Amino acid sequence: MPDDMAKSTQNKIVVSGFRHVFETDDGPVQATDRVDLSIRAGEFVTLVGPSGCGKTTLLKALAGFIRPTEGSILCDGATVLGPGRDRGVVFQELAILPWRTVRRNIGHGLEIARVPRAAREATVGRLIELTGLAGFEERYPHELSGGMRQRVAVARTWAADPDVILMDEPFAAVDAMTRLTLQEELVRLCGATGKTVFFITHSVDEAVFLADRVLVMTRRPGRIKAAIDVPGRAAGRDWESFKIDSAMQAIVEQVLRLVREERGATAPAASAAVTK
Amino acid sequence: MSNAAMEGSPARRSAARRWTAPLVWRLLPLTPFTLILAAWVAYWAIAQPSAETLPAVQDVAGAMWDLAVKGELAVHVLASLLRLLLGVALGVTTGVIGGFIVGLNRPIAEFLNPLIVFFNAISGIVWLPLVIGWLGIGTALAVFLIWNTVFFIVFQNTVLGVQLVPKVYEQGVEALGGGRWETIRSVILPGASPYILTGLRSGLGFGWRALIAAELVGATTGLGQMIFGATEYHRSDIIIGGCLIIGLIAIAMDRWLLLPIEQRTVRRWGLAFDARSEE
Repeated sequence: MPDDMAKSTQNKIVVSGFRHVFETDDGPVQATDRVDLSIRAGEFVTLVGPSGCGKTTLLKALAGFIRPTEGSILCDGATVLGPGRDRGVVFQELAILPWRTVRRNIGHGLEIARVPRAAREATVGRLIELTGLAGFEERYPHELSGGMRQRVAVARTWAADPDVILMDEPFAAVDAMTRLTLQEELVRLCGATGKTVFFITHSVDEAVFLADRVLVMTRRPGRIKAAIDVPGRAAGRDWESFKIDSAMQAIVEQVLRLVREERGATAPAASAAVTK
Repeated sequence: MSNAAMEGSPARRSAARRWTAPLVWRLLPLTPFTLILAAWVAYWAIAQPSAETLPAVQDVAGAMWDLAVKGELAVHVLASLLRLLLGVALGVTTGVIGGFIVGLNRPIAEFLNPLIVFFNAISGIVWLPLVIGWLGIGTALAVFLIWNTVFFIVFQNTVLGVQLVPKVYEQGVEALGGGRWETIRSVILPGASPYILTGLRSGLGFGWRALIAAELVGATTGLGQMIFGATEYHRSDIIIGGCLIIGLIAIAMDRWLLLPIEQRTVRRWGLAFDARSEE
């Protein structure tokens, strides 16, 4: 990615030589192998790669939950030493709190930041509108569908107004139809708020649809294998036109090929599996 | 959107069903008692046992009525309740605090665990002779014995509850900028509450057992003393009546103390252990 390095002054996140080894009962396992990447401010970067390639490890290191065994992670030029409210996370398991209503889950970050009640309610109200949760403010997560819980998780991270948002396969657990809607909502939300987003996924379609740039990771121990720019503003995309846009579909094919190579030639029906 | 609305409503409807058609559910818990009572009446009518082995239902009711009219019953009940509540409150407070400290700190857990296992194995009764020497006969003795029982139950449940709170909830709050105190307050405490409440429920039950044991020896009033005193005069009607009163108070506490707490917390949050039954 020489072109990114040239613009390093605008880089929000810079990862250099990130290697992570974690200890298991069967000895050390190397999760990633010298990952180098940089993400510009306001950029939406997606990362695809085979299961167990270290995607989540990388995201957790960006979030500050784990420390690199080797290499460095910089956010705004400062080494990431732990989790912080400048880097929001939407977890695969959601992590919204079952004992808080939708409203209180979304407002939690502002509560922690001691934002006065009125300002907090205004922000929460706006995000409830943006994510289509109106009417469900006083519900608890267990009373919501999977798709709505997903929206709460996204809204809660957005409400805290971090510069960077890290998303770990947040839509993997919802049904296919809901996922399409959530993806369209996400590109619109990003367009409206201009966040820097790092988004992990298994799905090549999803990766290309959401991204300004798609990164492909090798199998474990993972490193970045390729970076593919996706032209045009993600904010304007919708699935219907995306599916018939030949330029976009060519990128999907290209990414799919790159991912498939990592699955090995013997992997059956790789295309179906990665697009899910 | 629409499927969410559809999914939201059954939960509400099932909640409504619990309240609008409760007659069967209200009567169901009474059935076993009715059956036991019927069996008791029937057995007594057929076998006519001596009053010492099994008194008649009306004799038990009469004996309790007499004690109630004389005001003795209220004295015993109040004395017992005071000891129970003191002991349970102390046991729950120390158990929850201790459970949090141990559940959140691996080194402290390693340090204290052998001690906990050691003392947990020693039943409250064993302490009696020693504790009578230390605390004398009175409220302090009963409170100690109840604490000794409740603490371990609440403690162990709290440790388990604290350790089972999904890590990702904590990370979620940390990523929102929350520090250690915030994660404890907004994640660990509510997250552990199903287990803490389970501990409280068992603790109350075992607290009653410890209380009666303590009162048999170390008290001049209380339901345990009432029952113990009755054995000297072979008053099986008072013994059985005393047991009935203990059981009824225990049920009342469960219904009117614990259940409302559960309904406002773990049930509301969809975390009750029996939530699967209707959803």
